[in-house]
Amino acid sequence: MTAMARTAPPRTAGPTMPGSGRRGSGHRRRSVKPWNQRLAPYLFVLPNMLIFGLFVIYPAINNFNISLYDSGNGRDFTYVGGSNYQEMLSESEFWSAARHTVIFAVCFVTLTTVVSIGLALLLNQKIKGRAFFRTVFFLPVVISPVVVGLIWGWIFERKNGLLNSLLGGAGLGQPGWLVNSTLAMAVVIFVGLWLHVGFYILIVLAGLQGIDSTYYEAARMDGASGWQQLRLITLPLLRPTTMVVVILSLINGFQAFDYIWTLTGGGPVGGTTLMVQYIYEHAFQSPVQYGAAAAAAVVLFCAVFALTVINYLYNQRKESA
Amino acid sequence: MSLTALRGSRGARDTRGTRRWTSIGDGPTPTAGRVLTYAVLIGLSIVVLAPVVWAVLSSFKSQSELAQTPPAPLPSSLRTENYTGALSSFDFALYLRNSVIVTVGATLLTVVINTMCAYGLAKYNFRGRNLLFLIVLGTIMIPLQLIFIPVYQMAAQLGLVNSLWGLIIPPAATPTGVFLLRQYMLTIPDELIAAARIDGAGEFRIFTRIVVPLSGAAIAVVTIFSVMWRWNDFLWPLIISQDQSKYTLPVALAQFNSQLVAPFNYILAMSVVSMLPVVIIFLVLQRHIVRGIASTGLK
Amino acid sequence: MRSARISLTVTVTAAAITLLASSCAPGSSSDGGDTKQADDKKLTYLYFTDGPDEQATRDLIDEFEKKTGAKVNLQIVPFDNLEQRLQARLSGNNAPDVARLTDITPFRTDLLDLNKFQKGALNGKFLKGADSYITGKSGELLAVPSDLTMNGPLINVDQFKKAGVPLPDPKQPWTWDDMVKDAKKVQAANKTQNAIAMDVSGHRFSTMLSQYGTDFFDKTGKKPGLDTGKATAAVKRFAELNASGTMPKDLWLQAGTKYKAANEIFLAQQTPVYLSGNWQVSAFAKDAKFTWAAAPNPCQKTCGGFPGGKFMASFKQSKHQKLAAEFIAFMNSKASQEKLAKDANFLPTRKDLISSGVKYPKRDADMQTFLDDVKRTPQTAYASAYSPAFGATADASVKELAKVLAGDSSPKEAVEAIRAEAQKALKDAQ
Repeated sequence: MTAMARTAPPRTAGPTMPGSGRRGSGHRRRSVKPWNQRLAPYLFVLPNMLIFGLFVIYPAINNFNISLYDSGNGRDFTYVGGSNYQEMLSESEFWSAARHTVIFAVCFVTLTTVVSIGLALLLNQKIKGRAFFRTVFFLPVVISPVVVGLIWGWIFERKNGLLNSLLGGAGLGQPGWLVNSTLAMAVVIFVGLWLHVGFYILIVLAGLQGIDSTYYEAARMDGASGWQQLRLITLPLLRPTTMVVVILSLINGFQAFDYIWTLTGGGPVGGTTLMVQYIYEHAFQSPVQYGAAAAAAVVLFCAVFALTVINYLYNQRKESA
Repeated sequence: MSLTALRGSRGARDTRGTRRWTSIGDGPTPTAGRVLTYAVLIGLSIVVLAPVVWAVLSSFKSQSELAQTPPAPLPSSLRTENYTGALSSFDFALYLRNSVIVTVGATLLTVVINTMCAYGLAKYNFRGRNLLFLIVLGTIMIPLQLIFIPVYQMAAQLGLVNSLWGLIIPPAATPTGVFLLRQYMLTIPDELIAAARIDGAGEFRIFTRIVVPLSGAAIAVVTIFSVMWRWNDFLWPLIISQDQSKYTLPVALAQFNSQLVAPFNYILAMSVVSMLPVVIIFLVLQRHIVRGIASTGLK
Repeated sequence: MRSARISLTVTVTAAAITLLASSCAPGSSSDGGDTKQADDKKLTYLYFTDGPDEQATRDLIDEFEKKTGAKVNLQIVPFDNLEQRLQARLSGNNAPDVARLTDITPFRTDLLDLNKFQKGALNGKFLKGADSYITGKSGELLAVPSDLTMNGPLINVDQFKKAGVPLPDPKQPWTWDDMVKDAKKVQAANKTQNAIAMDVSGHRFSTMLSQYGTDFFDKTGKKPGLDTGKATAAVKRFAELNASGTMPKDLWLQAGTKYKAANEIFLAQQTPVYLSGNWQVSAFAKDAKFTWAAAPNPCQKTCGGFPGGKFMASFKQSKHQKLAAEFIAFMNSKASQEKLAKDANFLPTRKDLISSGVKYPKRDADMQTFLDDVKRTPQTAYASAYSPAFGATADASVKELAKVLAGDSSPKEAVEAIRAEAQKALKDAQ
């Protein structure tokens, strides 16, 4: 089988639609496709989709259903139609959480994309200690987010934290990292980046490996500088990878919760309270408003879903253009 | 469908029979750039490592040492009291065993069903494919925190509560895994599969003999992520495992935070304990993992 | 291959049936108290621990098991996640038989009427203040107060001595002015970062409100009771103390909306006075590297502290209701409660134990200081603490106080916001 892989005709990495080959073969075979080929895809997706259905999709639909009910304590339900949504949209806390979520997500996605591509480019060079650096940057990814929040919160503490002890020792003052809303948001974004960027570096590194080296050889023959190679070859060809990074970090950004909870608890004064925490507090802190929490979850889901679809369609158009 | 991170030229590279690192700015590199590269990498490495090292060092400190201002960089002695004090109060071996069973079991299941599903979505043209893919994409966005009451109800109805199966099965169908694998599989040339069919290979055989070996790198990625996710999982095991005999490590460790008066030196020691196994696994495997992924190319 | 496909088809069909079978309406259909009872003598006890109470509880469970032949499975969960877990289990129709709770409000409709099984042993045996809280709409006994907590100051005796400041007299409580003045003197003499620290908790702040002569709710616990003038004075004092560095402002702002204790500041000897409660006694007995003592609560308009506590309850979903009630009765018998109180430095909730008093083997003087404050605490404080809307209002007060400390709102605005939240929480709790 591997021999077959070697002799397979090379696919050109030009702007062909990647699905074209498949579509061709599908078309050719449609009329004579044997039953086992028609059935196979369903059997392949079945086990995964079954678990999906039971533990993700059905509960998600159920969640939407709950958002239309008033839940006395999470178990006695009265149908109230859209009033959970109405009430939520009139709450200033909701809008504050929504605003903070957008700020956080935009900064997080931008920084994650830029930093992960930048670092991956550095790590993709022939340098000494490459394996060491890769390991180091990936290390935070394996640490539990709850622990990450605890440790950073303790380092950023104003009076006794490590950072301010160092800054104070150097005569640079002791900013209230977690006391000032703007600084706290910056800290939360920084810690998010610290925690997740290794994951994205890995994805970009893999993407970089996929770029055919003949492009660079040709470019060098034409006398292109390193910068020109980066701008004209690497970045454009990396676009599909970039899109994966953007989509996944967007989702990551909108879901940020556990490490923020242990880092700032959403404070100071709600300055880092994001949507998931807002939902969590409604669902599990007294007074329990499970219906309201479900409504907020639906809104969050729709927002992220819409963004993802827009991103996806935009990229698809760009690619096929 | 061109949602593809993975376009490119496996074939082209393979025909030349050599694998090479593609690198930016190859050739005559100015030394100033080199120096800057190292400066950036070393500087950032310190930022990344500092909190971890600091936490490990401090986990040996006593409560009064921790409260010192300014903090001393090194503990006065390697006192293991925090560790022995914290660990002696529970059955570490049991929780470790549960964690290992759950992590290994869930990861195996995840890899098998995710790979199958991704293959179905990537390489077949069937009615409902686009809908299913959109559903996968959509479900990436649903954090468990938001829907776990309905999920719990489902688990309870199926009798999965308070068993390790309940920790293994429900989170196994990770949409992120399917998404990554599908993106990767799109790059496997259809001609390979067509040729195998002509040779008379069955559909399942094509999957196990051609697609799986060619997707090794992507499968490796999903494997590591699954291990990490399941190992660090907290909320779900917390709700599902009710008897202490079913606790995983993170849940057992969280009991230290449960007390109204939890001493921070213990919490630090426990954080280090929870980090250690997965960091060690990663350090042992990292050569294979990182190089494997990058050189085989998750494009 | 074929049989694999057939079995898959069966699985799909089974899954589809499951999906259809689970009804469209959210939630499960837990119906009243008619849960089918099981014959086995097995109980699950959902528990969170403050530390030393765990061993005492295990000892008592052993005793109960020997006496009745039952098997009790103690399930300890982190306090932070107790409510969450219980919500999930109740919604999955999978409740524990007995639970230890700090707030029964979210679960009122799920709780078992203990009078059905143990009226003689439990009804009317506990302190009066909690009665309206633990009594259901038609007179059911929904829970039993299993231990009482009393908020109060703890002081660093070494630091007081070094500063030459006399210790407060437990029998003649000091005033807020005295306490602040003394604490500042000790702070100056010992160069500590703060003079007074309070846990980030609406419950702890309620102590100050009560001392300033007002509470979240009135003496029935069912109407808002916050007096704008008195409460504003308290919030203003609190804000000033934080702004001047007498109290650690950062602590409140850095905690967000989660509970944060100031015990580390006290243990690090960075504050001579720590406003917390009796549950710190056994922990400090172990961890403090200096001499410390419980001090009387400061008086302003009124004296005394603020009560709190834990409850034991069973659920209508329980399949072992009779045994669960028996277990609760056993754990809260005079002998059991006395053992728990002694081993864990808890305060008793039984009328007979309160009147006979408990002699503590460890830190008895400190416990007596708290017990003295129990007697000085006004009835409205109990009514407020045991109001069904207390939890939500206390959470809101933490948020509002943080706003004042951050300079985002004035004390008066904060008091109005807390009052409005109290009103809303009462409505929600109906």
